[in-house]
Amino acid sequence: MRQEFQGVGASRGSALGRARVRLPHALEVAEERIGREQVDSELARLHAAIDTVRGEIHVLRERLHGALAHEVGEFLDLHTLLLDDPELLQGLDELIRTGHYAADYALRLQRDRIASVFEAMDDAYFRSRVDDIDQVIGRIHAALHRRDHDTQGVAGEILIADNVAPAELAQLQTQGVMAIVTAAGSALSHSAILARSLHLPLVVGTAQALLKINDGDAVVVDGATGSVILEPNADDLRAHRARVRELARERKQLHRLRREPTITRDGVDIKLYANAESREDVAEAHALGAAGVGLYRTEFLFLQRNELPDEDEQFRVYRDVVLGMTGRVVTIRTLDLGADKADKTGLALRDEPNPALGVRGVRLSMAREGLLETQLRAILRASGYGPVRVLVPMVSASEEVRAVRALLDKAAADLRREGHEIAERVPLGAMIEVPAAALALPAFIGAVDFLSIGTNDLVQYLLAVDRNNEALAALYTPLHPAVLRVIRDVIKLGKARGKPVAVCGEMAGDPAFAPLLLALGLEEFSLHPATLLELRRAIRGLNLDSLRKRAPALLRAGDRKAIERWLEQTNAV
Amino acid sequence: MIERELTVSNRLGLHARATAKLVQVLSAFRSNATLTAKGREVNAKSIMGVMLLAAGQGTHVKLRIEGEDEATAAEAVVSLFERRFDEDS
Repeated sequence: MRQEFQGVGASRGSALGRARVRLPHALEVAEERIGREQVDSELARLHAAIDTVRGEIHVLRERLHGALAHEVGEFLDLHTLLLDDPELLQGLDELIRTGHYAADYALRLQRDRIASVFEAMDDAYFRSRVDDIDQVIGRIHAALHRRDHDTQGVAGEILIADNVAPAELAQLQTQGVMAIVTAAGSALSHSAILARSLHLPLVVGTAQALLKINDGDAVVVDGATGSVILEPNADDLRAHRARVRELARERKQLHRLRREPTITRDGVDIKLYANAESREDVAEAHALGAAGVGLYRTEFLFLQRNELPDEDEQFRVYRDVVLGMTGRVVTIRTLDLGADKADKTGLALRDEPNPALGVRGVRLSMAREGLLETQLRAILRASGYGPVRVLVPMVSASEEVRAVRALLDKAAADLRREGHEIAERVPLGAMIEVPAAALALPAFIGAVDFLSIGTNDLVQYLLAVDRNNEALAALYTPLHPAVLRVIRDVIKLGKARGKPVAVCGEMAGDPAFAPLLLALGLEEFSLHPATLLELRRAIRGLNLDSLRKRAPALLRAGDRKAIERWLEQTNAV
Repeated sequence: MIERELTVSNRLGLHARATAKLVQVLSAFRSNATLTAKGREVNAKSIMGVMLLAAGQGTHVKLRIEGEDEATAAEAVVSLFERRFDEDS
């Protein structure tokens, strides 16, 4: 019997498939005791599962980028902290060690113990934090049984659940789930944001679906309208097929742009570079027809392990990126690390009172004897395999640029003397992300070959807004007259002196900002490959000449509202 | 041992973010730390423990720190409370 449930469409896409229902209280495990001699192995099993979850969260973090990393990252940090929580872990260990409970049941007891206290709270906010604890305990529980059921997964099925945690979503997608319907949740949740970025259809807020749908039922889900249809009829199936065709056509059109140039309606070439930090990013950048890599992050080389990578190891990584781009330029950013990123090497100073204003970026690279020299030598050696550029982060004074230039020249001379084949010239660029660097630019622009504006930090430092501070979220925006003015000035000076200027922050990756950046004179973007084709499509629909004619009005805009109005009017033209 | 009476004066209280900050600050120190409020004493180095206090704005809590670096640890926590966990303007 056909039934339709209306939820909220949280992530576009349409799916037809069999339902897999996952009821809440997955932790309904029966009491199970173990013998004294099993205690150690049970503890080992539990901690292996906790390590697995920690690893999964780490992997998920790596997969996130841009605004998403910012949104979901905080939440994942909380879960990581919970995984290390002494109370949680000691309680579990005790239940196994002295209570002789199996790990599953210990998780259940510990969960119930904590939940009962949270649920008794008056404050709704605190009461709802039990969700985070539930999710973490649920993930540990799932990891304990990974081998048993999760391998069969949910491939080709539509998951109907009470709720899904962001950390779970990526995994479900890997397992091949077609769509997700949840009773709880909102279109603004972290899970919804993540589902959209993974192109996974999601409908939230349909409690009815969970009550009425059973395992194996045929279901049609429309992630755009939020409709969930049980036992669809012929009309439903026709409508579903039409939607799928429409989406496929749209995707194909976007896909076709891989081989098209990034050119405005009035015929001006715009360069789209890719930000990259993994082999996959580089391959994708190449496949999508990126002009090159505009920002290759090197932090992962330093964050993953306990010792610093040596010159040879770095060289091999950089060389492979250069080879992967087959002749297109690769811009390698020197280590951009600071106390805000936890490293195991002990490189960054810990517990700086204000990491954003501390020993980070080029300051850290220069503070440690040999660190920058080694990295520059490795980059220069990679230049023997294809075009390479060096980009220096967090520059705030001319001296820093000149010091790096001197080191680069010396390293090049040394390498040639040692008989290495390196490029005749490896261009040096500075990131403009500290206001002082933008203002002092005339003093050192002669010492660099190109510039890259990092809008994420530039906005943070220009507006004195910590971008991780929720209370200031409304103030953190690139749509501020001061930000636009700095971007315009840097581009203008770069053009006058023949030095290419790119924008590489999140702003560059959002097609909505493209008219604004083009109006300010920008001709080079560097962005995550995930949105490269969307930006290309947006740019191909814009007329540069008319945008630049409207630039004076944009620069006169006195506040965020006026800038937003300018953008709206431009989009309407 | 050091004891301090503190008031939760940030708007959101000891919620997840503020608690995460407190735990991260304390994790740099070796000393043991507890917070007491509403008759309940919890491990101040446990995010779960501290959240269990459900200490909203205006709650009075007692901080107790014991260990070799108790003085600096106490100072760091007091400063965090005074800065309202860096969240209010």
